[in-house]
Amino acid sequence: MSHLPSRSRWSAAGSLRNAAAVLLAGALLAGCGTFSEEGRDQYNRSQGKSAEPSTGPSESAAEKPEPPYDVRPLLKPKKKYFGVAAEGAPAKMTAVEDFAKKAGKKPNVVEFYSAWGDQYETRLVQNSWDYGALSYIAWEPFTKSLKRIASGKEDAYIREYARSVKELNLPVAISFAHEMNGFWYPWGTKKATAADFVKAYRHIHDVFTQEGATQVIWVWSPNVVNPMPNVKLKPFWPGEEYVDWVGVIGYYARGGAATYATLYEPTMRQVRAFTKKPFLIAETAAEAGERKPSDIKDLFQGTAARDDVIGFVWFNFDKESDWRITSGPATLRTFKEQAAGARFGFDVTKP
Amino acid sequence: MNHPRQTPSWARDPEVYEYETQDSYAHPAGYVAQQDPTSAYRPEYQTYPPYYAEYDPYAQPQQAVDVPHQAEFGSQQAQFVPQQAPFASQQAPLASRQAQAGVQQTVYGPPDTASGPRGAALGPTEAAPRASAHRQPEAPPAAPKAEPEPSYTLPEVPESAWSVDTRRSKLLGRGVLVCILMVQAGLSLRLRGTAFQDEALYIAAGHYELDNLVNGTKTPVDFAAYFSGHPKLYPVLAALVDTQFGLTGVRVMSLLFMLAATGLLYSLTRRLFNLRAGLGAAALFSVLQSTMVLGNFATYDAAAIFLLALSAYAVVRTDRMKSAAVLLAAPPAALAFAVKYASGLYLPTLVLLAVITAHRHRGVGALGRGVVLGGGIGALLGAGYFLAGPVGGISSTTTDRARGTDTAATMLQHSAEWGGLVFLAALFGTIGYTLRGRMGEMPWIAGITPGRWRRAALGVLLTGTALLAPAYQIHLQTEISLYKHVGFGLFFAAPMAGLGMARLVGPHFRHPQLGIMLYVLTLVFGMVQAQRAYSFPDSAPMIAFMRDVVDKKGRYLAEEQEVPGYYLRDVTRWEQWQNSYVLDYRGKSGPDAFRQAVRDGYFDAIVMHGRVSPDTFAAVKQGLKGNTHYRLAAVLPFTTSGGDSAYRIWVKR
Repeated sequence: MSHLPSRSRWSAAGSLRNAAAVLLAGALLAGCGTFSEEGRDQYNRSQGKSAEPSTGPSESAAEKPEPPYDVRPLLKPKKKYFGVAAEGAPAKMTAVEDFAKKAGKKPNVVEFYSAWGDQYETRLVQNSWDYGALSYIAWEPFTKSLKRIASGKEDAYIREYARSVKELNLPVAISFAHEMNGFWYPWGTKKATAADFVKAYRHIHDVFTQEGATQVIWVWSPNVVNPMPNVKLKPFWPGEEYVDWVGVIGYYARGGAATYATLYEPTMRQVRAFTKKPFLIAETAAEAGERKPSDIKDLFQGTAARDDVIGFVWFNFDKESDWRITSGPATLRTFKEQAAGARFGFDVTKP
Repeated sequence: MNHPRQTPSWARDPEVYEYETQDSYAHPAGYVAQQDPTSAYRPEYQTYPPYYAEYDPYAQPQQAVDVPHQAEFGSQQAQFVPQQAPFASQQAPLASRQAQAGVQQTVYGPPDTASGPRGAALGPTEAAPRASAHRQPEAPPAAPKAEPEPSYTLPEVPESAWSVDTRRSKLLGRGVLVCILMVQAGLSLRLRGTAFQDEALYIAAGHYELDNLVNGTKTPVDFAAYFSGHPKLYPVLAALVDTQFGLTGVRVMSLLFMLAATGLLYSLTRRLFNLRAGLGAAALFSVLQSTMVLGNFATYDAAAIFLLALSAYAVVRTDRMKSAAVLLAAPPAALAFAVKYASGLYLPTLVLLAVITAHRHRGVGALGRGVVLGGGIGALLGAGYFLAGPVGGISSTTTDRARGTDTAATMLQHSAEWGGLVFLAALFGTIGYTLRGRMGEMPWIAGITPGRWRRAALGVLLTGTALLAPAYQIHLQTEISLYKHVGFGLFFAAPMAGLGMARLVGPHFRHPQLGIMLYVLTLVFGMVQAQRAYSFPDSAPMIAFMRDVVDKKGRYLAEEQEVPGYYLRDVTRWEQWQNSYVLDYRGKSGPDAFRQAVRDGYFDAIVMHGRVSPDTFAAVKQGLKGNTHYRLAAVLPFTTSGGDSAYRIWVKR
């Protein structure tokens, strides 16, 4: 239409359109937030992707179809825990199975030890759960001081541990720095103070909470006070909201207290002055000897008699002394009789 | 502008004819002449070739010759000359009658008639003397031979269109509309998520209101006191759909509302302007952030937009009918207000639209149409208010909402991001439409058409409506829901944006790239923004966890308590869920009340994430310090566009 007489009208309209095009481009370039860096992050996040690999307390949206395991029913079950710590378990469950066969009852707690710096042993926890037992980990800070842990210098490790716990999504009882009131461990009273312990314990708990690792049953695990009557337990108490179980450790040793009342109750009385949390006899056994069958009977009956004691974990090792239930025929027979009681043992997977 | 000084040779070609419609909204001749001195009769138009004319078969031949300006435009070359049917010209009784009857057809007379001037809208009484003072008649026209019947008619050329919308183009237009609607549906349905707090609130409330209607059960709270729409309208409908089809069903209902709104937008824009503008409007509106989000959002908004669209459509559709016909627009408008009170912001637009689109009446008469509509809406709302009883929600949520602290600059920036492109397009359309009402494939005939003020008023009204929501919320200083509310205004601006888009593309699809660019830009902005807006906590794991925690007796503190209140309504009652905003506890209020209540173990479970009520969250955390009542039971992470966060659930030990 080049012969059109009034082309200028067109060019006027054309320039109007060009102006509009410029306007549109301007709208784009005007730094609209939509396509800014922040906008891109927001978009990515809304797509379910992480905007930036975060370094802080990350609650990144690792897709988890199942809700976190609710440990509450395990905290104070109607029946008693019947636990065991055995050689090689729960990496291999043969020792536990053997114990179960001998005792005539399947244990429902398997305790094992984890050194500071070890990864959360998901395979072991899973093994144990598959067997039908709750894992109880004694987490031992051999290599790092309580001060260092409390200061946050070990947070990367703690976080990783917590994330693994969360990811596995199985309940686990963790007792950090057990027997803290004793002097024999590096975190004991010779190398650290009660305040150091409380700070470190709380710090670990807080990091786990930040990470959302709610699957942990927190065990505060002092040794019975008998060997060191002057060390008061209260300064070591981290606080009600930090503890689920009080895991008392005490063995029926040949030279020591021989009854529930003398072995555990002094400790329990002291603890009851500041908390009502349930007790678990976190480590126990009876030294081989004549008294052993009666010790076993005392343990079972003492535990059964107290509603606030939710069970015990038998230390089934031959270490320094033969603590196993197989140390003698009378021992085994007594153990089997006592374990047959209906109050001991239950299915932790269906509490 | 340069104008031809010579008559082009082709204009004398007997095969060539051209026509042009009158401005169907134009004022009567005398009025225009006064108002619009820059009309087609400026001197530079004198030399226009008289290649079209008006033919009035009933006109007295002598009269035609006698009128001077007819003489100067009379064409002897024109074989087929269109006759316009403008507003009553004294020597054109047929045209006058047609105009009165609202007939919009251009009637073509036989070839050998004398022709009247284009721009016959200017009656002889005033325009002729003025015109004659500037013009030199070229030749006396041939006397028309009166024909009693026009030999054929051409369809109406729509407002501001380049060409007639033929049946084929209409069919094509509908096809394109279907594609637009499909794209819109896809864009809405791609958004996913569990129930947002508002959705949960309205549907859950609907269930209780429904129970109240059917069984007379008292509702757990007076929803009418704080809802931003009447709780017995949309919520009840949503609850009915929810019972049958669940949340997805309610959201699909919103999608249908939004699709219908787009369809109505197309229809009304087509009637207001033309098909291309209609498609442009539908295309731009369909890819807005607000449209995508509301099309998958179980709240009043989609229903309200649909009802406003229906009302606007009724206003435009009845433009050529008697004034009373505009009352058809009143029920949807009143209902829109009742469904969502914020729709009231747009009722004045509808009333003004009724005035501006009044074809049959001019001046005060046009105002009458607005009065009729306004009165009708007012009467319905009055009756509704009388029947509904006290509705405290109107003031607490809409007119007297608690002031926020959002700054005007932020809100303007966000509004510009959400609707700036469409607003610019509408502005462009308004300017273009004001400057030039008529289009034509042959530009040299496109003079300045009368009705500039009316066109400007229409453009400003529709485009300006887009500013209402941002302006009002800036006044309230709160950005809550603005991302949805901009969509209401943009619906009204969309016709002008569609026209702007059509003008960008130009005649013969001369610049399709500009239209495509506008559409694609709007689409990209819309998609990205919708993805960001439609991003709220995934509550599914939280609900799954809480289902094992709750019972019929417990008391639960939950941030966005509507969500568990809705999802767990089979196992809990609404009152068991304490919100994170307001609590009166032992004479305390605000965060102090929450802190104390948590300390005392008042709640059986606490679900917080701190995104909605950070102050309460902080108070709750303080309350939990050294607290033996609760144990952290679950941390359920979620990601929204605002960042990573997590539901934290504390339960009684």
